[in-house]
Amino acid sequence: MQYISNKNKILKKLIFFILFFTSSCFAEDLRININSGQVDPLPIAIADFTGEKGKASETGRLISQVISNNLVSSGQFKAVDSAAFIAPPTSPSVRPNFTDWSPLGIKALITGSIKNVDDQQIEIEFRLWDVIAETDLIGLRLSVNSKAWRRVAHIISDEIFERLSGDSGYFDTRIVYIAESGPQDKRLKRLAIMDQDGENHQYLTDGSFLVLTPRFSPTTQEITYLAYFKNEPRVYIFNLETGQQELLGSFPGMTFAPRFSPTGDKIIMSLATKGVTDIYTMNLNNQKVTRLTNSVSIDTSPSFSPNGKKVIFNSDRGGSQQIYIMDNNGNNVKRISFGKGRYATPVWAPKGELIAFTKMLKNKFFIGVMAPDGSGERLLAEGYLVEGPTWAPNGRVLMYFKQEAPKDNGKSSSVNLYKIDITGFRETRILTPSDGSDPAWSPLLPN
Amino acid sequence: MVKSTFISFSLHVLFIIIAYYGLPLSKINDPIEQPIDIVEDINIGSQTSLKLGNLDKKQPSKNKKIDSKNPTKKNIIPPPPPTPPGQKIRDNKNLELKKKKEVEKVAQLIKKKPKLKIKKIKESQPPVVVSKPEKKIKDQKMQLAKGILKTLTKSQPISEETKKEKQKKSNKDVLKTIRQIVGNSNVRVAKTEIRLSITDINKIQNHVKKFWKVSYGASEVKMIITLKINTNTDGTVNSVNFFDKSLYIKDKFYRATADAARRAVFDSSPLPLPKGKEKKFENFLFDFDTSFINSY
Repeated sequence: MQYISNKNKILKKLIFFILFFTSSCFAEDLRININSGQVDPLPIAIADFTGEKGKASETGRLISQVISNNLVSSGQFKAVDSAAFIAPPTSPSVRPNFTDWSPLGIKALITGSIKNVDDQQIEIEFRLWDVIAETDLIGLRLSVNSKAWRRVAHIISDEIFERLSGDSGYFDTRIVYIAESGPQDKRLKRLAIMDQDGENHQYLTDGSFLVLTPRFSPTTQEITYLAYFKNEPRVYIFNLETGQQELLGSFPGMTFAPRFSPTGDKIIMSLATKGVTDIYTMNLNNQKVTRLTNSVSIDTSPSFSPNGKKVIFNSDRGGSQQIYIMDNNGNNVKRISFGKGRYATPVWAPKGELIAFTKMLKNKFFIGVMAPDGSGERLLAEGYLVEGPTWAPNGRVLMYFKQEAPKDNGKSSSVNLYKIDITGFRETRILTPSDGSDPAWSPLLPN
Repeated sequence: MVKSTFISFSLHVLFIIIAYYGLPLSKINDPIEQPIDIVEDINIGSQTSLKLGNLDKKQPSKNKKIDSKNPTKKNIIPPPPPTPPGQKIRDNKNLELKKKKEVEKVAQLIKKKPKLKIKKIKESQPPVVVSKPEKKIKDQKMQLAKGILKTLTKSQPISEETKKEKQKKSNKDVLKTIRQIVGNSNVRVAKTEIRLSITDINKIQNHVKKFWKVSYGASEVKMIITLKINTNTDGTVNSVNFFDKSLYIKDKFYRATADAARRAVFDSSPLPLPKGKEKKFENFLFDFDTSFINSY
């Protein structure tokens, strides 16, 4: 009997636990779905980096300024004016009083410090705080040459950008472009390079010969560009690390820019032979040229997909200039643009989800994006002449050049570089010493 | 989560208690169910004791019916007069109906009427039954008032009956208490089941939406970001926890967007909780869906 009663007790306990756990497993929680929000700039405070004894040093102030400019130019952040700060800047090792920052609408706070290690080396430390959640999100310490403080500011900007947006940063990058100066009839065009924010500007050529359409290698610190030497187009590769340039070859019929393949071992270009312009690739290892298209129409401005399997280009084979897609061997050519107007200079985004292009419609130029199948066309920028889009390495920002309408009977017309975020809400002009055109964005610089 | 778990837990505990104590009671339940009929018989009998002799002969069939139901009990209890006044009324009514049937030509309608009346009688019985114990107590008091001897002489059968009655009553009380417990628990469950309207939810959704600032990079997040929220009754947010912590560590897009969602929740504090339903929001989940960014 006792055995039975014990057995019953065990059974009852077992039933109890089964019921309890199953009930807790199937217990329904209240769920509220939030399916919309604002793709708005995030209010951020960048406190001056403190120096010795907690005071902000001049370099610290400059670093915070560069970070601020970088983040604001991305269109994803709104820097709160430091004049509105209630609390003084603190060391990154000190937890800030968040109640000093949250009333200003600040969502994220950056604090940092700078310390001289020796005459040349500096140690920069920073921390990113979530003011609302009252927690730190990231903290880093960097030791660099004191002359490289600007680059450190870009690296810090990249870290903050990535932590708050999820996307890789693009601030520690460079832009190569054609610097233009002089009157329209005697235009001096030089190859120039600068940081993505326009700083550290340098000329790479002296202007003794015309240069066009520079392009960055996706894998190395090399630039390919087109130069007219004695009226003959030549393709060069310029190594930024060594300063040396290499002649790839002369291409009498070259009509448009050579562009690197994703692996960097090939360039793709269009060549005009016997009145027919087609697309070719050149293997940089053995300089073997392969023809991809073979039509009587004009096929130009080719660009590889990020995986290298597809090529987009523009062609007038359908009667008007439109964008086409094909396999990397020239097969399966298919038109993807069907909107009104003419389409040109298609460039595949680094992530592959979008294609940037130039559109011409009713005497106006536009910079736009579309999906690789031609759907979802969006026009981001417009102007008298906007052309030559190039992608930032994270695929979130586009740079292009914009020419103003000619003044003084066509004698003067300024050309400038602009960048715009992919949402199309923030267009920023890049300040250059002279006019600029044909920009090309570098990949992230190696550390 | 905790609340619902607590409710389910308490319900299951209750269920187990009922199951636990109900199992031995269920053995008694068989006689408990029977006394309900017997009580009726006894009461009816007590009311109609003076007419027993007259009605005994008239109601053999009904007694048989009762016998078939409760053969053992009937042996114990003196032959009850089941339906003395009611039967007459029924008979009279049946006669009247028969007359009406003859008079009225619409047979189908008339046929329905007696059914309805029977139901009414059945329904009217319970209040009669309720009043009967009082009358019985009065009779007992009257008997007690007449003299001790009388009560003593009749005490033995009465005591047996009362014992049984007490047993029956106690059983009935147990049943009642169980019913009350079950009933009360149901009421409690009903009270805790706070129903939220669409407007209640929309109000909170629209409030939080205003504070959710996401970057374009959130379009890379292919999953819904779920946050566990704990709030006070005034709507202030106590804590926000990430549901998928492993993904938060692994995926940089998820992490950044989840942080933005957390900021939105804290920023939107206090939440506009519907009045009287605050407890429902003590612990709940927010599902942040980034799919809308693709439309940008």
